[in-house]
Amino acid sequence: MAAEARAEARAEARTPRSAQRTWLWGALLALPTAWMVTFFVFAMAIVVLLSFGRTTNDGFPAFATSTANYRALWNDVYLELFVRSLLYALATVVIAVLIAYPVAYAIALHGGRYKNALIAAIVVPFFASYLIRMYAWKALLSDDGLVNSGLRKTGLSDGVTFLNTPWAVIGGLVYGFVVFMILPIYASLERLDVSLIEAGKDLYHGPVRTFFAVTLPATRAGLYGGVLLVFLPALGDFVSAQLLGGANTFMLGNLVQQQFNEGQNWPLGSALTVALMAALTVLMVVYLRATSTEAREA
Amino acid sequence: MARPRRVERKPALAVAVTVVFFAWLYLPILAVALFSLNDKKSLSRFSGFSLRWYDELVHNSALIDSLVASLEIASVATAGSLVLGTMLALGLERVTSRRGRVIGAVTLLPLVTPEIVTGVAALLLFTGVGLKLSMGTVILAEITFSIAYVTVIVRGRLAGVSREVEEAARDLGCTPFQAVRLVTLPTLVPALVGAGLLVFALVFDDFVLAFFTTGVDPQPLPVRVYSSIRFGVSPAINAIGTLMLLASALLIVAALVLPRLLGRGTSSLDLITGGRR
Repeated sequence: MAAEARAEARAEARTPRSAQRTWLWGALLALPTAWMVTFFVFAMAIVVLLSFGRTTNDGFPAFATSTANYRALWNDVYLELFVRSLLYALATVVIAVLIAYPVAYAIALHGGRYKNALIAAIVVPFFASYLIRMYAWKALLSDDGLVNSGLRKTGLSDGVTFLNTPWAVIGGLVYGFVVFMILPIYASLERLDVSLIEAGKDLYHGPVRTFFAVTLPATRAGLYGGVLLVFLPALGDFVSAQLLGGANTFMLGNLVQQQFNEGQNWPLGSALTVALMAALTVLMVVYLRATSTEAREA
Repeated sequence: MARPRRVERKPALAVAVTVVFFAWLYLPILAVALFSLNDKKSLSRFSGFSLRWYDELVHNSALIDSLVASLEIASVATAGSLVLGTMLALGLERVTSRRGRVIGAVTLLPLVTPEIVTGVAALLLFTGVGLKLSMGTVILAEITFSIAYVTVIVRGRLAGVSREVEEAARDLGCTPFQAVRLVTLPTLVPALVGAGLLVFALVFDDFVLAFFTTGVDPQPLPVRVYSSIRFGVSPAINAIGTLMLLASALLIVAALVLPRLLGRGTSSLDLITGGRR
């Protein structure tokens, strides 16, 4: 009896199962989707709205429909800062590629059984406190830090001012984000069929020509991914410039942070944030277009 | 897996760069740890071993308050993002419609948005609706930022779980909810442990979001440390920095290793490096 009833119930359940299922999965999606829409999409919309806002006479931000904030962005100081941020982020990407490719190559193709351990040895410090790693550089490079005292002791120099220079800031950015270049390149080198390299050597003679004709093109996807993953956070960063640089090396992120914490001009800060996002989106779209066409042609 | 890897002889240049890279990666961190144990204030001459800077930390009540606040923020944010991220992963894995793909893309956006933008947006939202900035607002912002990590890791694991097992449970009389609870969720445990540890470490260390969304008191630990770093370097900061690095290193190592021990299959490391074959 009971078994029969169960079988019946099951047969009944079978027909609307797909409907039931969609209902369940849809319900699972509802809460997280509502969360992301509220705290991310809606929050972003407020930034865009406030970028057209103004500051009231008693200093509070208020919504409005003025383009004054965007017009205020168009001056030499901000433009210089914008260009500087782009240059720093680009330099960061270039240096990161020059470091990351050989490291990923050595580990992926010659790491042997230590491969995973070596990658873990890179990942662990990189996911540990970004702030403390920036501080570590500051301590090392400061005027009475280890590097300068070493230089003085060996008589090479009376001390070099490293901090407050562009290279200190760019170095900090590379130190902060190079792992995002190593990992995707490593992943694509891992997937690379080694017999391709061997065939390349027969065809092209010499490891250098083989590298440029075979290995590099085959790992293009990882390289492109890494460029994006380093460029995005580098352009928006303000910690490196704040701790390792000075007023002459400030980036967009510092300007945004100032408007919200010190300058207290939130509408202007919002306009800066929107400009940063717009620049990133345009660059990303152009970049993705270019790289995907190239990948198709290859 | 065991494919003969007869590649060319070791490329000297790549190996040299790798060695220098590892030195460059670890030298600053080790210097911080070394000089946290110095008995003098100098950050360049090690004169003797002492724990005085650690002793100073223990007696700094504002710092302890910040530590407790950060632990609370990380715990609540981890729990919240695990629940929401898992729901999202389960839903996205099965809803293959266009709507599902759009939702999937939106939830990944925080991963490619510079943190400063997310921070500004959260600040404006909270003040706009009249929420007082506090630990609660930091938690809300951190959950929003962490959901994507959980979703990515859990989806990676889900892809390896055959859906037939769930179908079988249904044929044996489970309701859809029971099938998920009794069959699918247990297979996700390793992924959830890994994701939880990773998110805890990321949130505990996160500075930018906390900086934009925190109230005055108690400040999360990274925010407090940042304000002291701005004024210069000191052995006391070295001490707290060493502890923070050690704590998150342990968490990350656990996040990489535990999922492997708990069950065969993908660990966070595999996901980070694009998976192993």
